[in-house]
Amino acid sequence: MNPKLPTPHSSLQSAEIVSALRPDGTLDPAHDPGLSDQEVEYLYRQMVMTRQLDERLVMLQRQGRIGFHVGSLGEEASILGSAYAMQKQDFLFPCYREFGAALMRGLPLQTFIDNMFGNANDTVQGRQMPNHTTCREVGWCSISSPVGTQITQAVGFAWAAKIKRENKSSLVYFGDGATSSSDFHSGMNFAGVFKVPCVLLCRNNGWAISVPVERQTATKTFAEKAAAYGIPGVRVDGNDIFAMVSVTRQARERGERGEGATLIEAITYRMGGHSTSDDPKAYRGADALAPWAARDPIERVRDYLTKKGVWDDAREQALVAEIDARFKEAVSIAERTPAPQLESMFEDVYESPPWHLQEQRQQLLSGPRAPSAH
Amino acid sequence: MAQMNMVQSINDALRVAMRADANVVVLGEDVGKVGGVFRVTQGLFDEFGDERVIDTPLSENGIVGCAVGMGLYGMKPICEIQFADFIWPAYDQIVNELAKYRYRSGGDHSCKVVIRTPVGGGIKGGHYHSQHPESAFIHVPGIKVVCPSNPYDAKGLLLASLADPDPVIFFEPKRLYRAAKGDVPEGAYTVPLESARVVRPGTSVTVLAYGAMLYEALDAAAKAAEKGVEAEVIDLRTLWPVDINTIIDSVKRTGRLVVVHEAPRTLGFGAELLSLVVERAFYHLEAAPVRVTGFDTPFPYALEMEYMPLSHRILPALLDTARA
Amino acid sequence: MSKFEFKLPDIGEGVAEGEIVNWLVNEGDSVSENQEMVEVMTDKATVTIGAPKTGKVAERRFKVGDTVPVGQVLVVLDVGGGGAAAAAAPAPAPAAAAPAAAAPAPAKAETTVASAVGDLRETLPGMSKSAAPAPAASDYFSDKPLAAPATRKLARELGVDLRTVSPSGSAGRVTREDVERASSGARPGPAGHAAPAPAAAPAPLPEAPRPASRATDERVPVRGMRKRIWENMARSKHTAAHFHYIDEVNCAELIAMRDRFKPHAERSGAKLTFLPFLVKAVVAALKRHPRLNSVIDEAAMEHVLRHQYDIGIAISTDAGLMVAALRDADRLSIVEIAKEIERLGAAAKAGKIQKEDLGGTSFTISSLGKLGGLMAPPIINYPEVGIMGVHAMKRKPVVKGDQIVVGDVMNLSFSFDHRIIDGDVGAGFAQEIIGYLEQPDRLLVEMS
Repeated sequence: MNPKLPTPHSSLQSAEIVSALRPDGTLDPAHDPGLSDQEVEYLYRQMVMTRQLDERLVMLQRQGRIGFHVGSLGEEASILGSAYAMQKQDFLFPCYREFGAALMRGLPLQTFIDNMFGNANDTVQGRQMPNHTTCREVGWCSISSPVGTQITQAVGFAWAAKIKRENKSSLVYFGDGATSSSDFHSGMNFAGVFKVPCVLLCRNNGWAISVPVERQTATKTFAEKAAAYGIPGVRVDGNDIFAMVSVTRQARERGERGEGATLIEAITYRMGGHSTSDDPKAYRGADALAPWAARDPIERVRDYLTKKGVWDDAREQALVAEIDARFKEAVSIAERTPAPQLESMFEDVYESPPWHLQEQRQQLLSGPRAPSAH
Repeated sequence: MAQMNMVQSINDALRVAMRADANVVVLGEDVGKVGGVFRVTQGLFDEFGDERVIDTPLSENGIVGCAVGMGLYGMKPICEIQFADFIWPAYDQIVNELAKYRYRSGGDHSCKVVIRTPVGGGIKGGHYHSQHPESAFIHVPGIKVVCPSNPYDAKGLLLASLADPDPVIFFEPKRLYRAAKGDVPEGAYTVPLESARVVRPGTSVTVLAYGAMLYEALDAAAKAAEKGVEAEVIDLRTLWPVDINTIIDSVKRTGRLVVVHEAPRTLGFGAELLSLVVERAFYHLEAAPVRVTGFDTPFPYALEMEYMPLSHRILPALLDTARA
Repeated sequence: MSKFEFKLPDIGEGVAEGEIVNWLVNEGDSVSENQEMVEVMTDKATVTIGAPKTGKVAERRFKVGDTVPVGQVLVVLDVGGGGAAAAAAPAPAPAAAAPAAAAPAPAKAETTVASAVGDLRETLPGMSKSAAPAPAASDYFSDKPLAAPATRKLARELGVDLRTVSPSGSAGRVTREDVERASSGARPGPAGHAAPAPAAAPAPLPEAPRPASRATDERVPVRGMRKRIWENMARSKHTAAHFHYIDEVNCAELIAMRDRFKPHAERSGAKLTFLPFLVKAVVAALKRHPRLNSVIDEAAMEHVLRHQYDIGIAISTDAGLMVAALRDADRLSIVEIAKEIERLGAAAKAGKIQKEDLGGTSFTISSLGKLGGLMAPPIINYPEVGIMGVHAMKRKPVVKGDQIVVGDVMNLSFSFDHRIIDGDVGAGFAQEIIGYLEQPDRLLVEMS
């Protein structure tokens, strides 16, 4: 526990918050996940990758080269630490801010960038906004913009695993805002009643677009909501990747043992806007960021690795240069890739297009084109 | 071949499906020990246990949302929504999730879910146990909509719905649950989706109906025949994608069209059926197409028989259209 | 119970046969006297025949589509009592007959030309080019025919203009049978009587063929006033059932009177043409034939009779034909009319005519002046029901007593809307005007 941990709202400071990485750079043995230096370096590289991509994607959006980006600035540890604790056969049900976890699980960078451009190589065929990618191969579910809907689905997935008696779990990401949705209630309730191996991860980042947490709930914490559903609720320092790995791993193990689901409230902070469409200056002061900047999840791990002699500036520069090169190449390819074929609009509505879609496809193909391709 | 009513034939279909495929589970409110409020799942709990015949909390979005997750896992959940009137909390999961999953993931994911739900009036159920909301689902790209009218079709269509790769909303006309009886083969068979059936051939006017209103249309057609009007009555069976060829073939022969449905008229399925016919058979029309439907009011309790488009309202429409 | 055989009567004038369009009773039905029994179409009209007696329909001898010769038994009724069967002879309303042309009147020689104002043309837009009058009673036309899509398709395939097909269906719909009948009727067949052959049906508007373009063509968009003329003329021609009446006027006395008053008028600052006399004659005739001083309200299906005499005067301008309103013509003297016409003509030609000088008229006079030929039946100025075209006076041989002498003769071409104005009414009105013009003193005698 770290009494100095800033939180989005003072009322949320009361309950215990699990933390592993101490200010002096050592780990609290009670919550040390026992990661090797190699593993920590891997996680560090993934977090840097995530942030570097975030910054570059915002740049592309400002240049008008992509339409939209919804990033994870400041929340990298909560996303990557929890994802790292899950196993290969598990399914992750993202909100829409967790592309870093998808990349870590094996989503190819080029595939992700193609999605950001919505081009012909986008696995979603440009049918969704950027950041709404999918990759069943790595257990990454499709992303839905309405918040909370993935919660019941993740519970259903875990429930199926339980019925099939297979060692699979689900991890579902959602924000503090989604705890107000009916799907949060239904998902938590079903998860409790049927004791399913599901890890429900609430990224409490302080904001649902412009609405602060005290407008989402009158409870002191989000974790305590779990009690109403008969499942454990845990608060964790979301900017502490060691604690995130530790807590999520324990939650997953509970599920595997048949003890059911766990609600994790990861306390973190959304350092950027809600998305590239949002300007947080309209509703929060710059001074709100300072305490969180001091607890930056990436810098804390860099300090840790540096102290251990595993990391240094040269490596840092090499990593950033490598990311930059890979990113530029992926963007270059994505920009050269044409828009999806017209016919693709009619595919995947059903497994095969019924008569009416065949007819409409023909109408589109034989009709006039929209004034200009974007 | 056994004589069954619709409750029994749907129950039989569920049993056949669950025996054949361990991925098929049934979940809903009261579907377990009690066998459903209409007894459609009776006996399944005893045979397949509580992990496959699941009484859920009273939460439609929970039922469908979890079913989507099960479908993503690779199972084939069959949800029962106790009354179609109660389906709306699950509408977001159906419209934005279930129906869109394949499309929005570029075919990377799909979830096979069948949602069974009783529909329709005429059972003294009042507003919240009588609605017939098919058009709200037909309007949603990505799902198929089925509504059988007899035990044979009900079993065959439910098995076909389960075998189909896309999500299906399966509307069960509760007025027919015990009233519609007929021979039902044992074991597995399917009635293909997207196939309408010409129940009564005729030459004067085409009547499109489905579910419980099929029988009202047939009754009106028999009375019209006494007056020299030979109506061709078509049971649509699958509402979407509808069997357009059977409809257009018939209208091209008769030149006249009457559509019957219980749901309110405005933007009801009849509106789409009329449009489809007018677009494809305009120059075969001898008379303006007509809808005989429920009214654009909430479903009334005491006056339900006045609300529903029963034979007494269909007959004059047949005669007027045939003679126009 | 005795039988009554009802034979198809001659339901027009000289009708030889009729086609069964619709039976309104079934065999076995009880019918009361005059109850509608059957719809029969002849080449003149479709009529509904009522039961001649109260009884029961024992037998329908023909079915829909059959052609029944006049005099054949159409239906057999069981009637009460023991009365002997007898053919009834209902008296259907005869179709309007064309009035006999009035005999030409003798005329005196003179060469004055009837003229309204200025530049007069031989024909005016919308005037029929055809010298032959169109048939009257059977010339069915409806601008917006009602028909099922399938019937429309059939009509297209058979080359039948639905607008010209008299409807027999419910609510005025053209039926499949109507189209088939029209199609077969359109082919040349042996004419039983002297009914004029209907003019070839115009092609339906939406399918008007476009002329092939040639490099030397000049295409002028139809805009503004020309567009209004286009629309008004087409509306009139497509709605009013035009029939035409042409006769000549012996102008001897009219010329004498005009010459007598000309100096007087000039002292009052008016140039006295024949047109004011024509206006006066028209107003006097309208007072005797009030149905002509009127307009129609299509939407309401009403004939609107006017009690003011606002006479339309057709004026040619550079922009096209315009009809100015000569208000309250009955209250104006001939000199006042002359001045008013001059004022209107000048304003129209200068393009300065005011709104209050346009529209609201209930009968129109269109003068062809010098260019006026023998006959040029004008298009009715919609929504009026009649129009008079005035031709140039010509010196012609006329019969006076038993001698042929040189006379001054002017032709008048009338068009009437047969929907409202029957042939005899229109002809009577025309003769009334001719009478006033040949004896213009009557205008003074009868002046109120």
